[in-house]
Amino acid sequence: MNPPPPCYSAPVTRRDVLLRTGLGLGWLGAASLLETEAAAANSSATPASSLEPIHRSLAPRPPHFPARARAVIHLFANGGPSHLDTFDRKVALEKYAGQEVPGTLPTERRTGAALPSPFAFRRYGESGLEISDLFPSVARHADRLLVVRSMHADVPNHEPSLMLMNCGDSRLVRPAVGAWVTYGLGTENQNLPGFVAMCPGGYPIKGTENWRNAFLPGAYQGTYVDTAKRKVEDLVENVRHPFLDRDAQRRQFDLTTALDRRHLAARDHDPQLEARLASMELAWRMQAEAGEAFDVTREPQHVRDRYGDDTQGRQMLIARRLVERGVRYVQVWHGEGQPWDSHDAIGRNHARLAKECDQAIGALLDDLVGLGLLESTLVLWGGEFGRTPTVELPQPGTDIKEISGRDHNHHGFSVWMAGGGVKGGTAYGATDELGFKAVEKPVHVHDLQATLLHCLGLDHTRLTFRHSGRDFRLTDIHGRVIEDWLA
Amino acid sequence: MRHISLTIRRARHLWPAVSPLAAMLIALLTVLLAGSQPAAAISPEQEKLFEEKVRPLLVTRCQGCHGARLAEGGLRLDNLPAVLKGGDSGAILTPGDPTASKVLKVVRRELEPAMPPDEPLPAEEVAILEAWIAAGVPWSGPGAEGPAAGEDTLPADMEARLVWARQRHWAYQPFTRHAPPEPPAGLDPAGSREWGGLLDRFVTAKIVVAGLEPSPQADPRALVRRLWFDLTGLPPPADRVDAFAANPSEEAWGALVAELLAAPEHSEHWARHWLDLARYADTMGYAFGNQDPRYPFAWTYRDWVVGALASDMPYDRFVTLQLAADLVEPPAEKADLAALGFLTVGRTFLGNPHDIIDDRIDLVTRGLLGLTVACGRCHDHKYEPVSTADYYGLYGIFASSQIPAELPVIGTAPPGPEADAFNAKLAELKAAVPAHEDAVRRRGTTAAIAHTADYLLETARPTPRKADNRPPRLADEYDLLQGLLDRVSRGIGSAAPTDPIVGPWVQLKGKSDEEIGPAIAALLASWGDRPDAAIVNRLVVAELRSPVPQTLRSVAEAYARLFARVAPDWAGGPAAQPDDPPELVALRGALGAAGTALVVQPGEAMQLASIEEGNEHRRRKMEITRHEAESPGGPPQAMVMIDRDQLSDSHVLIRGNPGRPGELVERRLPKLIGGTPASRTSSGRLDLAHGIVDPTNPLTARMIVNWVWAHHFGRGIVDPVGDLGLRGEPPSHPELLDDLARRFVEEGKWSLHWLHREIVTSRTWRRSAVATADQLAADSDNRLLARANRRRLDWEAWRDGLMSAAGVLDTHTRGGRGVNPLAQDAMHRRTLYTRLDRQDVPGILRIFDVANPDAATHERSRTSVPQQSLAALNAPLVIDAARQVAARSLREGGAQEDTRIERLWRACLSRSPDGDEISAAKGFLAVAGSTNPDFGPWEQLAQALLASAEFQFTD
Repeated sequence: MNPPPPCYSAPVTRRDVLLRTGLGLGWLGAASLLETEAAAANSSATPASSLEPIHRSLAPRPPHFPARARAVIHLFANGGPSHLDTFDRKVALEKYAGQEVPGTLPTERRTGAALPSPFAFRRYGESGLEISDLFPSVARHADRLLVVRSMHADVPNHEPSLMLMNCGDSRLVRPAVGAWVTYGLGTENQNLPGFVAMCPGGYPIKGTENWRNAFLPGAYQGTYVDTAKRKVEDLVENVRHPFLDRDAQRRQFDLTTALDRRHLAARDHDPQLEARLASMELAWRMQAEAGEAFDVTREPQHVRDRYGDDTQGRQMLIARRLVERGVRYVQVWHGEGQPWDSHDAIGRNHARLAKECDQAIGALLDDLVGLGLLESTLVLWGGEFGRTPTVELPQPGTDIKEISGRDHNHHGFSVWMAGGGVKGGTAYGATDELGFKAVEKPVHVHDLQATLLHCLGLDHTRLTFRHSGRDFRLTDIHGRVIEDWLA
Repeated sequence: MRHISLTIRRARHLWPAVSPLAAMLIALLTVLLAGSQPAAAISPEQEKLFEEKVRPLLVTRCQGCHGARLAEGGLRLDNLPAVLKGGDSGAILTPGDPTASKVLKVVRRELEPAMPPDEPLPAEEVAILEAWIAAGVPWSGPGAEGPAAGEDTLPADMEARLVWARQRHWAYQPFTRHAPPEPPAGLDPAGSREWGGLLDRFVTAKIVVAGLEPSPQADPRALVRRLWFDLTGLPPPADRVDAFAANPSEEAWGALVAELLAAPEHSEHWARHWLDLARYADTMGYAFGNQDPRYPFAWTYRDWVVGALASDMPYDRFVTLQLAADLVEPPAEKADLAALGFLTVGRTFLGNPHDIIDDRIDLVTRGLLGLTVACGRCHDHKYEPVSTADYYGLYGIFASSQIPAELPVIGTAPPGPEADAFNAKLAELKAAVPAHEDAVRRRGTTAAIAHTADYLLETARPTPRKADNRPPRLADEYDLLQGLLDRVSRGIGSAAPTDPIVGPWVQLKGKSDEEIGPAIAALLASWGDRPDAAIVNRLVVAELRSPVPQTLRSVAEAYARLFARVAPDWAGGPAAQPDDPPELVALRGALGAAGTALVVQPGEAMQLASIEEGNEHRRRKMEITRHEAESPGGPPQAMVMIDRDQLSDSHVLIRGNPGRPGELVERRLPKLIGGTPASRTSSGRLDLAHGIVDPTNPLTARMIVNWVWAHHFGRGIVDPVGDLGLRGEPPSHPELLDDLARRFVEEGKWSLHWLHREIVTSRTWRRSAVATADQLAADSDNRLLARANRRRLDWEAWRDGLMSAAGVLDTHTRGGRGVNPLAQDAMHRRTLYTRLDRQDVPGILRIFDVANPDAATHERSRTSVPQQSLAALNAPLVIDAARQVAARSLREGGAQEDTRIERLWRACLSRSPDGDEISAAKGFLAVAGSTNPDFGPWEQLAQALLASAEFQFTD
């Protein structure tokens, strides 16, 4: 039977329900956990029904319709990876090599003649998907990949394109996809954040805006983790007391709890105070669970070796551990700034970048398959746009060192997905002969987002939030679900 | 059954009350008038079923989506004919036959779409529906014959909608005077006290009508703590709590209120509330890598707000200065110019003017009026009587205003070597910017003139380049500049063929190379040997005569030589001489003077600059910002907005697209607040301010009164606070809101202190937070305010409270540049003074629901997430405070255990511990051990108190 779809339009009012309705423990965002522990005792004070839908908490909620995926891992190759050197082979580039090409489209900078890919492509798997030598480990999973070769975005600049990809609007302050998803579905493990954004070494361009909650309540913002750090207490804020060991802290915690219970008893078991008490207990458990989840040293050495004992290996492994534990949305950025932005020497730069992450992504896919998690986890790989088939020309003031790179290209680029109910071994859509522009079955970023929500069982037109007098949604007035992608 | 009655009684508050008498009258009238309609004739039992059970169910469960405002699936469930008609997919019920009624299957979730979508109806309510259908769908009162009055559909035409909304929507109507309800006769003295002030009478009357008893007045200790946090955002010193508890008289209360309202901590605390509304931050948001995103002087606005609240500036003046301090008459004090930071401290969207103006329009309309206008950027509002023209009327006002390049200095830095050094360095940095612009201009002009022939040839192309192609790059790597090409096309390219200087070019430029020679020969022949200067300039003739150019390029090169002769001397040309021949003077007048095609104008140098030059320009500007932001010797400057020299009206931009201008709208206010045209001689910001604070505009006073109320009670009379529009919720106490808003203006003369006093001296505000069983049952969410709302400290009060308990809060240093809360010398400043980067709001602030600084926030969301508790357990902030509290207790209480425990409690919770607590503390100290010298038993005990619920909540 279909679970009842959540109603997000909040017909009566949309404010913090729980403060008012006397739902007590529900407002914690941990209803499921607490129901088992304490809510039973409180049920007599809980009205049978509420006038308002609960939508602020992180408690898991049923989707609008049966979901294909329950979690997302978004591997963000930030900077704009070249589709022409990875997942979209263009033989015509060899034909036109070194020549002016017809139909050069405007991009950020001036480009010149056609630049063939320095990488060889091979066919993989039964599907025979063509993938370049940059991603041999990913290619092992070719029959699980849905490669979308006809993506397009709005402008050839990093900032607006990052905002479009992550928040559905190039300029205005809108919540990130992960914030929308946790708002819509809550999260399955109350002892961990529902939306985690990992980026080693610092922030990507646009920083925390990429995982912001904007007008959604603060609980839905992405929790940033700098995966260049190794120690758990550096990875997760406030996860450990700097001075007390577990036993000493337990004694202290028991004292606080005793004081709180007394305080509460004198106040007729006020639901807010009860919720606060429960929140403390939850935090107590979170200390243990978060510490455990982010600690990759708990994995056997052979597992760590498969991922590679480096930054990318560690963060992919953390991603797997988080999804295993019920985290709803995990974003894994390649690195601080815009690493994939190869304006020059694309052969050398892309080779280095792919080498950094290919093994780890392959291992992540291996494990998701092995653990039976890939079915319910949608893995998305891509950047904010692709790159030009033509070579970027130097311009005063730019950072070009050798003329063998590609400029940004929002007219056409590739992303791939795996798991989560999408069709594997499939290439969808196509760019033009040279790979400049998406011409066959073009897919706008909003379409990708609408379909991603669809895989999670959410209708992008119904996942709304009332703000500033109107209902907002991730895809604004755009977006269409691409049924062809669904397995 | 208890649960059902609960639901229904709560529902009553949401449903326009119809007294039983009125309902009977309506029913009677319906019967009399309807005559032949059998459905209208219903028995008293049926009426009771409908009014007490069915209507509340329909109102609360169904009409949110199936009502007047929204008829999902074409279905309305707010009137009988509509119920009988059904929706787009046909009838939903058969009167008298529950088994044939689709609606029952839907609510039982046997049929899709299951309804209500979010949560199934309790079985009892399904039973009610079933009984109602079985009874033949009896309907009494409003809705029996069709949509109730005032619930008819929203007019699409904007003018009609304006009239419609003004007539129907409470918030758009003028204040009405309401006689305060009278207490019922024969009350005992205790009962009649609850009817004390005007405010109380409105609140108490509703409580009594609901059949409830208000909670008693709170315990004096709880009251003092509540008052302190409410008015100052800080905990009370324990001895002040004791003092009031010893003498809890009305006089003592009044004196305490007066004292706290006058305290500087009060204006700091309420300034923070206002800064949420003003979407305050100390940075412009995302900036390019070579730009400094800081606002060096946002803090002058913050300090102005604190000062204005401290002096109890009347709210109408407070608003006026924030919109138009530069325009008021008589002119405002210089220091008041800082008020304009209200408009200018927002995000800058990488300089996109449309987004910046949009942000300001939203701030002013939603922030100050509770009215959503920003939708008008792209389309007429879907619900409100707000059109795109209303939006672009305001747009013109802000587009006619600008932030000046030089901000006014509004004070002096203390004189001395620091100030001297600051000024000397500033002058040097400032001079470096125009110097760079000059250099760019010189380079650009020289290079352009050197490529004159190419510019001419490019504009002479028979087929113009496509719009999306960049201008070509020449063999020598020179990029032709689009701006100059445009000017060449416009100026020379479209000159008359008879022009004595460029006329020949105009005549020749369309010709092929074969035609050029003969064409020039013909021209030369027509001019004769001694050409008339009015027909052709002799220098031009000379260039075309020897030798006669045979290609268009040669002609262009001939003209290039002419340009070179009259290039400005600063761009490599020969200096003008007094004895220059008249034809050279004429040539210079046409080609070489400032304003002609290839001379880069002073203001446009940077538009034509190379990437490198642009980077250098931003770098030099960034140096200025950095210097102003970081140097201690600088004087404060106001982040003002001033009128532009060129005032402009705006076109409606169709769908918000700057490339699709529609009708031109003269600058004016939105029609809903009068539509007054703005002055034609200024931007109109002053007119906007006047329109907003005009006493006949009922939105402003309602908005601020409701906002202040919400911050005192944790929730507005209108909730959510920031939406007074059609889609907002009606007030819980409309008469009270009107009365208070009207008196705020008339009696209080817009004084916020008056308003605070009215509220915190009321009995309503002073009620206990303890709820009775009846209250919980009938009004679990406390809409009636029969009790107080228990509240969690916000981020600032929590952090300040920690430092206050530790005895380290700096309450002496006020104002000034924003500080880094981690810096040694500033870490104990009030949280208000920490610098906020809107681009990087620290995670812990988000976790504690600090307002998003990107949009006007009337009230913060209140989430409760375990990360908040994690912070109480482990955050360095709490750990540090615990260590300081422990040290303080030793300092004040000595080593003796009992007295030290006493001091610890008083520091953290403003009260002494009782016997049980002392034993608990002693027991803990005994087992806690002292294994860690950095965090011994006393530190651990202190942290246990700081992490307690009592610390974090006010009763």
